[in-house]
Amino acid sequence: MAWERRGSNLYYYQSKRVNGRVRKNYVGAGEVAQAIAHSDETIRQSRAAQSERARVELEEARTLASAGEELCEAADILAVAQLVAAGYHRHKGEWRMRRRA
Amino acid sequence: MLELPEATRERIHELQELSDKAQDGDQGARQELRRRLAQDAPEVVARCSDSARSYRRLLAKRSSGGSPLVEEAITERARRMALELAGENPTPLEVLLSERVASLWVLVELQEALLAAWYHKASAVSPAFVLQMARLQESSNRRYLGAIKTLAQVQKLQGPSRVQVNIGGNQVNVSR
Repeated sequence: MAWERRGSNLYYYQSKRVNGRVRKNYVGAGEVAQAIAHSDETIRQSRAAQSERARVELEEARTLASAGEELCEAADILAVAQLVAAGYHRHKGEWRMRRRA
Repeated sequence: MLELPEATRERIHELQELSDKAQDGDQGARQELRRRLAQDAPEVVARCSDSARSYRRLLAKRSSGGSPLVEEAITERARRMALELAGENPTPLEVLLSERVASLWVLVELQEALLAAWYHKASAVSPAFVLQMARLQESSNRRYLGAIKTLAQVQKLQGPSRVQVNIGGNQVNVSR
């Protein structure tokens, strides 16, 4: 969204992406254009704030998920160690008792 | 806060090395693994269980949206779930694995709630955000199911043998 000066007058344009290309549409000049520009700016700020909230929430969700990763790995290692010590071995993803020689 | 102490981490690493060697057929490593598990496992498992409980509290706090009552309700629900999953007379490892399942359950529920909330505001967020959130949820779900599978394997292969009997229409678990 931008104001452009032609001589002594300001004209308001809206930009939109159409088929991957930016297209500039003339909106107008004067008080009506100012009201539309104000409304566009409010929408832009609201979207930016929402997008920032989403980014923060995603980051927080990632942090929470990764906080338990070490614990999960440790639990897996202990479970495998316990089964191996008890004489089991993994065969094609399945735990089996090792045959005694 | 959730990081395991360095000494615990080292012991786990050593147990993993011995376990890998034993799986490759090294009998000496298997003997050493048994000795080390008898010596170190109780403390290591206890530390990990503490960590699992802290993790659960952290997740419950985040899920509660600041309400102490909701936080307490989630914590209690997860605690009961862990107790129920561990069964009667669980080994320390079964306790740890059950604590992990309960913690991951809270994580999966939290992510599901977050994603559902953002779905309702779908016009306000980009599809890329929803996709990333869905991927995160998928990964946590995989971990959750993996944790259930490991607990079931350990209970089946290692835990005390339990027999289910029906007495007067009630199912009772009896340890042999």
